[in-house]
Amino acid sequence: MANYHPSDELLMQFSAGQMPNALGIMVACHLETCHHCNRRIKVYEQLGGEIMQDTAPVEVGSNVLSELLLKLDKPETEESSAQKPYASVDPRIPRPLSRFVPSYFDQLEWSGMSRSIKEFELPISDTQYSAKLYKISAGKELPVHTHKGNEFTLVMDGSFSDKAGDYHQGDFILADTQTVHQPKAADNADCICFAVLDAPLKMTGFFGRMLNPFLS
Amino acid sequence: MSQDQTDTAQSFDDLIIIIAQNKDRSAFIQLFEQVSPRLKAYAMRCGASATDAEEVVQEALLTVWRKAHTFNPKTASAITWLYTIVRNKRIDLVRKERPDLITSDDLWPETYTDNEHLENEVESDLNVNIVRTLLHGLPETQRQIVYKVYFEGKPHSEIANELDLPLGTIKSRLRLAMKKLDTLAKEQMTWLIIILLTNF
Repeated sequence: MANYHPSDELLMQFSAGQMPNALGIMVACHLETCHHCNRRIKVYEQLGGEIMQDTAPVEVGSNVLSELLLKLDKPETEESSAQKPYASVDPRIPRPLSRFVPSYFDQLEWSGMSRSIKEFELPISDTQYSAKLYKISAGKELPVHTHKGNEFTLVMDGSFSDKAGDYHQGDFILADTQTVHQPKAADNADCICFAVLDAPLKMTGFFGRMLNPFLS
Repeated sequence: MSQDQTDTAQSFDDLIIIIAQNKDRSAFIQLFEQVSPRLKAYAMRCGASATDAEEVVQEALLTVWRKAHTFNPKTASAITWLYTIVRNKRIDLVRKERPDLITSDDLWPETYTDNEHLENEVESDLNVNIVRTLLHGLPETQRQIVYKVYFEGKPHSEIANELDLPLGTIKSRLRLAMKKLDTLAKEQMTWLIIILLTNF
């Protein structure tokens, strides 16, 4: 049972369907095991239902119903019925993330920043957030650091601690520009975390422009 | 709970259950007539064009037809269930041409969207009434911001610009609204117990 949770504001944004990117995946991963946040989500979804109920109705074209009635008896197309091929992955990986992590944690191609910390880029970064897994070796401590923007962390395996607390599997932690910390993995196991960081506001260079055509 | 407040929700519930049990087309048409204008309005408020919004409505109602058996009035009211379906279809419409992007199924895998462990804890009718009363009881300034979160998903800084208010004001109004909802989430069990006891 997690002790650290996404803020209500994030849960509301998630329920509103306004967080469909890496941070959304992270909240979904937390929700998989967090009963406490699931209950909150239910309240925010009810709020969504009420808000929809309050919206002034807009007339729907008459063809919409007739087309729909024709579709009712058709078998579901592959597109809508096919389950996504979820690789049989590490049971430590929550289902919302499993599609994006190709193998067991131990078999991932971790790239080293140093011997005590390694990372694995996740293919769900976008112009707003970048996402990766990182692994702190058992008993290792990172240098004291602060953050340029927000950094959301979800503990996936093992545990780590800093001055503010101890964090275990399922804990959802936000570090921002005010946070100065020195995370240390527990002695008994490597600590694997899923991290989502504010992406740099402006990306330069050819590749950056390609990804983000709205910034010129 | 007054009857007139639950009438609409009640009849949506009934229609969905009839659809689930009998694949009843006339119940489906009735449900369509009643809910589709609001589903369309919701999609449009979220930024969809009228054409896209109608596609979202079609997809959502098709899911209602196919998944009616998964509707459980004990865990969610009909309008909440419909909301989650149309919300997911709206997300997926944008992603149709970008298979690399995250889908609603990534965010809300079915294994736990229709989970049952909430069943014993949430009395949906009761909740809906409390949520509705609370939403309508919020001061206009707070409600406006909650609506913006749901429909526009804009960052606070952008909302602040639009409303020509300081960022701090936006944050504090949202925080106040959330605090009321949070209290609600915590208190719903207490209320439920009180009501059950008094009815007994």
